[in-house]
Amino acid sequence: MKSIVISSAIAALLMLSGCSDKDPKVDDSAVDSGMKQEVVQDPSAQEVAPIQTETVSSSEAAVMSDGTAQETDGQVMMRVEKELLTIYFDFDKFNIRSDMQGNLSTDANIAKTKAKDFYIKLEGNCDEWGSDEYNFALGLKRSNTVKKALVAEGVDASRIAMVSFGESNPVCNDKTRECWAKNRRVDFKLLP
Amino acid sequence: MKILISFLITITFMFASDATIEVIKKVDSLPSLAIEDASVSYDETFKNRFFKSLVADLNVLSIFNVERYHRKVNYDASSVLVENKDINYVLRYKLSEDDSRALNLELKLISQENVVFNKNYKVSNTNVYMFVSHAIAYDINKFMGEPPVEWMKRKVIFSRMVDSQKSELVIADYTLAYQHIVVKGGFNIFPKWANKEQTAFYYSSLDEKKPTLKYVDIKTGKSKVIKSSDGMMICSDVNDDGSQLLLTMAPQGQPDIYLYDVKTKSTKKITTYGGIDVGAQFLGKDSIVFVSDRLGYPNIFSKSMNTGSVEQMVHYGKSNAACSVSGQYIVYKARESSESFGDNTFNLHLISMETDFIRRLTAVGINEFPRFSVDGDAIIFIKNYKSQSSIGIIRLNHNKNYLFPLKYGKVQSMYW
Repeated sequence: MKSIVISSAIAALLMLSGCSDKDPKVDDSAVDSGMKQEVVQDPSAQEVAPIQTETVSSSEAAVMSDGTAQETDGQVMMRVEKELLTIYFDFDKFNIRSDMQGNLSTDANIAKTKAKDFYIKLEGNCDEWGSDEYNFALGLKRSNTVKKALVAEGVDASRIAMVSFGESNPVCNDKTRECWAKNRRVDFKLLP
Repeated sequence: MKILISFLITITFMFASDATIEVIKKVDSLPSLAIEDASVSYDETFKNRFFKSLVADLNVLSIFNVERYHRKVNYDASSVLVENKDINYVLRYKLSEDDSRALNLELKLISQENVVFNKNYKVSNTNVYMFVSHAIAYDINKFMGEPPVEWMKRKVIFSRMVDSQKSELVIADYTLAYQHIVVKGGFNIFPKWANKEQTAFYYSSLDEKKPTLKYVDIKTGKSKVIKSSDGMMICSDVNDDGSQLLLTMAPQGQPDIYLYDVKTKSTKKITTYGGIDVGAQFLGKDSIVFVSDRLGYPNIFSKSMNTGSVEQMVHYGKSNAACSVSGQYIVYKARESSESFGDNTFNLHLISMETDFIRRLTAVGINEFPRFSVDGDAIIFIKNYKSQSSIGIIRLNHNKNYLFPLKYGKVQSMYW
């Protein structure tokens, strides 16, 4: 009898030591290799460049001051991007509010004039009410409504890209009505 | 009076197997269980932590009245502690650390002075102690002849927001006590287990030019790209054998549901409505349940993939934006109050597709991410109430909810 108890206990021990041991170990290996892969793909790792040393003479300084007077494409893009107005939405809605028509016309004009050489990325966002797929879709539909409105005003559809961040990109983190209203929005970003 | 009683009894038997009817079990009728700690290694903090984990797991079984007193004893003592004399079951365990620093546990279950069950457990380090505790509860449940609680041993995968557009993917036990970050850095969301064995998972990466669905094999750590789409690219559900996926994609800025065949890599568009169709889940082999705003607000619908007929599944709740399906049951999240500062804004409800009954599963707070266990025995969810987030487990057939407070971070999405 005793030997049966001992042998079954040993069998159980072997089985369970295998079982309980295995799962966490699997995670360890996965985590290590998984994380490595992510680190390799991290763009910040590629941005490291050797520091360039320049000798600045008086003549070069003059050249540089000339250069700064003229905006680079990137600087123009950033300046124009700041002029583009955010479109805000009502709770759980993706139609353009009447009080946002003015903003939209301004944006369409800028898109056709000052920003005509750039691509436009519309970023749809939602408030914190619900972190489901539905919220991402709502953000996307908001972007899509703005896109359609811009196209109707004469902006080339092929210049417009869309993305949704759901509730994961808030500009305001307080738990107030005003704050949530600020997060239900479509932002404009310019791309070269 | 007799007629009334017999009528009530008849009704009770008629609906006895329907989980949408609340089953009120008398707490007093459950057998009592006390735990005796005979550990010889580790400090008091760890001993307490392990004891608490075991009490929680045994409570979640919902088949015992578990005593919460942490009493120490000698493992080989011939009889149970005098305080536990009238207790139906006494679970005595001994934690010991061996030369390789592995955690060993010896266990015996004593009933009426007899050892009715014993088993030994071992894990390589103390960080994963909760898996031993879950394994013990699983075994005790099995020994008691209850339906298996496989979900207790399964892992949860979830995404957690750490900053604006920054998240990490985490693998955890069902109480989220054990957490292991598997993908760090970047904006990666909506993870889903790729198979029943939980050896691989899918997730959406928003770091690429277009939203991209990726697949990671946990054993090898290798990841590969499955598919990209403009606007949205989310894997909403994986079928039982892992051969088919339900995706939400938006190639022209229009979110719709697609069926993806893992082997042939072909996609088939399932929904064509011009509004929002998202969050699809398999309902049997030929149908899906999904979230749509086709009535002007988010609600739960089903669609046959053969005939294309659409049916509204839920008729209660102002905004029902998330659901999970198991057999004939749907658990869904409903917005109950338009008062944003009320204390019961989102609650979980259970409906049966065969009856008209609705059972409300939560009463207060913001309750979200409902997800059935694979066997349908339990529902996992996140509760936010009074600035505390917890993970919840609902035992449908026992009519009990259990909450485990979360350490930190906002959960973005969760899959069991």
